[in-house]
Amino acid sequence: MTDAQQFETFMRNYQNMVFSTSMRLLANHAEAEDVAQEVFLKAYERWDQLRDSPTVGGWLKTVATNLSLNHLSRYRARWSFFSELFSGDNEDREQENNFIAPQDESGADSRHEEVELALQQLPPAQRVPLILYHFDGLAYEEIAEKLKISMGKVKTDIFRGRETLRKKLRLTLE
Amino acid sequence: MDPQDQHRLDLAVTRRLRELPDLPAPETLVPSVMASICARAVVPWYRRSWPAWPVALQGASLVLMLALFGGLCYGGWKLSQTESLSLAMRPLGEWFSAAGLIWRTLAVLGDALFLSVKQLNPAVLIAFIAVSFFSYTACIGLGTAFFRHARWQENHL
Repeated sequence: MTDAQQFETFMRNYQNMVFSTSMRLLANHAEAEDVAQEVFLKAYERWDQLRDSPTVGGWLKTVATNLSLNHLSRYRARWSFFSELFSGDNEDREQENNFIAPQDESGADSRHEEVELALQQLPPAQRVPLILYHFDGLAYEEIAEKLKISMGKVKTDIFRGRETLRKKLRLTLE
Repeated sequence: MDPQDQHRLDLAVTRRLRELPDLPAPETLVPSVMASICARAVVPWYRRSWPAWPVALQGASLVLMLALFGGLCYGGWKLSQTESLSLAMRPLGEWFSAAGLIWRTLAVLGDALFLSVKQLNPAVLIAFIAVSFFSYTACIGLGTAFFRHARWQENHL
């Protein structure tokens, strides 16, 4: 098997994980695909070190998370001033969501689809810290450092995001 | 909601999120990455970034740059010891004196402006600042309104 074929197999093994990481943070299909592409190009540059590394999955996830956060701060900061002036902007965001549900043998899994949709409809200020906290298991301090915001804001945003999810998903406390 | 309920909600959300399967990557992802890799492979070494150069060329270029830097430093030091340098620097000195003249003129004009502002009635000054401030906020407000209107039209037409 040539190097290119090995790398293609490697990509096929990890593409869903990398794409999901970006998609959940960015909530935009095209942007998530761009970031996933960038992640794999970086992986190719380090292919000699990564090909036999047992921690390659973690490396890919970290790079996907960091590149998605960079993307959010670089390309969306210019809109935040205007968008945050109006609460009605959530409607626009909901229209922007272009979620594609994973298909399994028995058809669409509606419960997972419902959670993914609810996540993507959260405003980025709530969705991003919520994902970093619940998916990646980061502490409040680490999230505050990554997003360059105060810890109080991280806690408030996660609290609000969680409340919105609870209402949308009708979560019951056992 | 009390802290205990908060904790339970925290656990419930974590569980619901972590049981989500990965989303399927688009079919175009792998072909587009492979196409980018192929496109990069045909780019000659001198058009790539320095870290992507072959190691031998990296070493050679490093030695060359160091030699150039050393040569420039040595040349500069030797030149500073010759008398012809002061002759060569004379036009530069003249240019700087002309720039100094412009700077002094600007400073005098600035002082004159400052003195005339000081002579003004404080009420006029306050009114001027207020008008500037309201103009600025009106620009931001109108800009925001037009931006929202444009986006609304984009989404509803």
